[in-house]
Amino acid sequence: MYQYSGLILFAPLLSFVIIVFGTRVWDMLSRPKKVQLTTHDGHGSGEGHEQGAHVGVELAFASVPAVATAATARGAKDATAHAEDQAAAAHGAHLDDHGEDDDEDPKVAHLSQGAVVSGYVGVGIMLLAAVYSWYLLLYSIFVPDQNFLKNGTDVFSYDWLRQVGGAGDYVIAFHIDTLGLAMLVVVTTVSLLVHFYSQGYMEDSAGYARFYAYLALFTFSMLVIVFAQNFLVIFIGWELVGLSSYLLIGFWINKKAKPDEQRPSPSNAAMQAFVTNRVGDVGFIIGIMILFANTGTFDFATLFVKAPHVMSQGLLATAMILVFCGAVGKSAQVPLHVWLPSAMEGPTPVSALIHAATMVAAGVYMVARVFPLFVSAGPVALGTVAWVGAITALFAATIALVQSDFKRVLAFSTISQLGYMFVGLGISGLGNSDLTYGAGPGMFHLFTHAFFKALLFLGAGSVLHSLHHATHKEVQDMRLMGGLGPKMPITAITWLIATLSISGFPFLSGFYSKDTIIGLTAERGQWGLYIITLGTAGLTAFYMLRAFILAFGGTDGKYGGLWGGTYRGVGDPHESPRTMTIPLVLLAIPSIIAGYWFGFFQYLSPKAPIISFTELLTNPLTYIGTAVSLLGLGVAYFMYARLNQEKLHNFVENNAALRTVHRILYNRYYVDEFYNWLIKYGVLGLSHVEQAFDTYIIDGVVNGVARLVTTLGRDIRYTETGRVQSYMIGFFGGVAVLTAVVLVLVTYVAK
Amino acid sequence: MDFATLVFWIVAVILIGSALAVVSLRNIVHSALSLVIVFAMAAGIYLLLNAEFIAIVQILIYVGAITILILFAIMLTRITSGQSTNPVSKQWWLGAIISVLIGVGIIYAEMNSSHAVSATGGSSPLPGNVSNVVRIGQLLYSPSSYSYVLPFEVASLVLLVAIVGAIVIGRED
Amino acid sequence: MGLTLNHFLVLGAMLFCIGLYGAIAKRNAIAVLMGIEIMLNAVNITMVAFSFFNHVKGNGLDLSSLLTGQIFAIFIITVAAAEAAVALAMVISIYRKRDTVDVSEIDMMKW
Repeated sequence: MYQYSGLILFAPLLSFVIIVFGTRVWDMLSRPKKVQLTTHDGHGSGEGHEQGAHVGVELAFASVPAVATAATARGAKDATAHAEDQAAAAHGAHLDDHGEDDDEDPKVAHLSQGAVVSGYVGVGIMLLAAVYSWYLLLYSIFVPDQNFLKNGTDVFSYDWLRQVGGAGDYVIAFHIDTLGLAMLVVVTTVSLLVHFYSQGYMEDSAGYARFYAYLALFTFSMLVIVFAQNFLVIFIGWELVGLSSYLLIGFWINKKAKPDEQRPSPSNAAMQAFVTNRVGDVGFIIGIMILFANTGTFDFATLFVKAPHVMSQGLLATAMILVFCGAVGKSAQVPLHVWLPSAMEGPTPVSALIHAATMVAAGVYMVARVFPLFVSAGPVALGTVAWVGAITALFAATIALVQSDFKRVLAFSTISQLGYMFVGLGISGLGNSDLTYGAGPGMFHLFTHAFFKALLFLGAGSVLHSLHHATHKEVQDMRLMGGLGPKMPITAITWLIATLSISGFPFLSGFYSKDTIIGLTAERGQWGLYIITLGTAGLTAFYMLRAFILAFGGTDGKYGGLWGGTYRGVGDPHESPRTMTIPLVLLAIPSIIAGYWFGFFQYLSPKAPIISFTELLTNPLTYIGTAVSLLGLGVAYFMYARLNQEKLHNFVENNAALRTVHRILYNRYYVDEFYNWLIKYGVLGLSHVEQAFDTYIIDGVVNGVARLVTTLGRDIRYTETGRVQSYMIGFFGGVAVLTAVVLVLVTYVAK
Repeated sequence: MDFATLVFWIVAVILIGSALAVVSLRNIVHSALSLVIVFAMAAGIYLLLNAEFIAIVQILIYVGAITILILFAIMLTRITSGQSTNPVSKQWWLGAIISVLIGVGIIYAEMNSSHAVSATGGSSPLPGNVSNVVRIGQLLYSPSSYSYVLPFEVASLVLLVAIVGAIVIGRED
Repeated sequence: MGLTLNHFLVLGAMLFCIGLYGAIAKRNAIAVLMGIEIMLNAVNITMVAFSFFNHVKGNGLDLSSLLTGQIFAIFIITVAAAEAAVALAMVISIYRKRDTVDVSEIDMMKW
């Protein structure tokens, strides 16, 4: 059964190939010949245009996004103005709906057939993959095969280069085991739900098929990471995921930046994501190379055995910390966290899939994968992991307290929860306990977090989608929301469930995963980590409920301000279509019950303990944790549902200390500005120095040689005077010199 | 100091003096006239060296023909205007230095070399009482014993070529 | 102090250098030729001096009656005469063309 899991790996690749080479080609071929529009060069086959097969007036309207985008991309400004006038005249009312947003999020009247088919292909293939992966998971639990549980099986292997000069093997090997299966289920499920959700979210979008192609590419890349058996393959997947993330974040090519809301343009955000990941990858590559140089292999199984023997612990710890650098970049830990808030510029399904559930979890997964190496590397490596995670968790949580952008709160929440995962991973190796938890705690939080974070993001997408329809503009500011509960009940209820889950409300899934980690830090005697994680739990509860109340509630709503109230925006938002609400409901289920898989730790590493429910109830630490979460929830409820918002605002503004703290947190500790400054004066300053070096010294030498030759030539010609007497002077001068030399030699040397 | 040495010194001093005059006077005609004295004194030196034929030939050819030639050339290339007719070039100091260096070098080499010819003066008289002229004639024209008849013939060719060349070059056309 | 070979050799050397100076440092073409004549005369003096002081050390051959130096001097005189004739013809021809005999103005082969 497990052998065929290779199909899961290659299924999204198949989907990608079908969409890119099949449906889009079909679309391009079935486009009609265009009617020439004034100055427009009638080809229309730019990026992401799914033009309908209609002529005439429809054509004029459909060409507007093409012309607009082509014009923006190619700069034929007259075509834009003219065509827009034409189309505006032809379809006044319908066009007014979109206004200037057309440039940012191009729409078409009807999706082309190819686009629709690509949507169904994407969803269909992902459905099959998800079903098969759930089947494998349940099969592995209920029909336990001891060999598989211990070692896993090889899925696919291809020898790329063998024994290159005795340096080592380069093999593309894919492998599945319990850790992989757990992650596989998460990836395929969330990917399936996002595919389905995008049918509603990306309706009538001009880039519909392109979006599905990129989603498929991303899923494939993620599965490469999941199935990887050696560092080479995981790195390939790593970079592929970075590429897909870049393509998906920067999906709306022509969208502009919004500096007054501190939002970059999607292209810049995509660039930032890629480059920041790259910075982390430097450490990653160096770490891999250190391991490879000392052991001669990339393969995980071989490394687990060989590395502790041939490498000193210090060297191994250095290598593993460098490998962790890659995880820092990919999973947006401090200091490489800056790309994740900017990545919110992409479409919300992208944020749900990539930046909540899967890609950012790749870092955690990778650390979990090579966990035995971390254990052999000693407490330094795991301590670094845990402390980086803890600091990130606290850092991000404090920032999320005051953010006003809906998606940004969720972005910082993700960063914070990833920090929790790393604390969980790190803590398993620290302390003085005999119980080998393995990668359990961190991975368990990843498992539960994927579901409720995806739910949070998809719910946010639903809210934003309906607000967009209501106000005809892109609205993301929570200050323009409020009282959406009654208007969007399904969204609101599922969001509430997810909020409570992430806050660690008792008996929901987040409670089990989070409190296990907090409890472990106390058990292992790491009191610093304990305080930080406990405090962050309270902050998490606070800001999540704050977000909920600001969006769905209000001071004058039901249940004491929790549900409904005044809507601070314009228009009349309503519930999203079913393609968007079904995934929300489907995700709400695991958000509640996923925590009840008590055998998770043992599933991953057979020697780990099973979480015991009764032990949880009797442990006082659990009560402290719960109390802190409830305290956070209560404070948020009090501040945002009961207090007068005006008075609160004025109170903060008038108090100098609070105002300063608020400003620092709102500007995200000015880290972005610091990086900008660093790049501008540090990196670019260095490049200017190097450029000066190149221009003046290197070019100076090269050009100087040429100039020397020229000058020499130009000046030596003056010796050719054309006068015989000058030549005679030269001649007899030489004779005189030679005479002197010979006489000296004869007198003094040849004695 | 015997008679030959005295004569030598007188002739040598005048020779050097007029040579210096040739190269330093600013008037070309004056230089030409000093050149005559140079030639004449050279003839004197030859006499001191028992080379009467060479001395006479020197007078005849150099003083007689070449001097006239030079004077004719000066006349035909008259430089009008007030500037000096025999100016010095701008790098005369360079020439002076080079000349001095070469001169010092040659003299030093001569003084310190071991000659293949003994330094004692005088020579054995010619065999028999053959005069210088007869001996030179024998050396130049003798058909049987050691002679320079071939260079002699070539020299006459050279003169022929020179005559023809001078006429051709000096044509006015 | 009897006359030795050195006297004549030194005389010849000095004369040669004076002639060299004249050939290098004078601007009138005829003056250059005069310098060259002086040089040739110096050489002649040296030749004849060598033929006079003719006790050749060495392999016992009696070369004293071979007046090599004097013969050489005769030929030098001959060639000098021929050369002076041709050279002065050239000077006259140049004078006709360019109306100058200043050698520093005849620089057509310059850069």
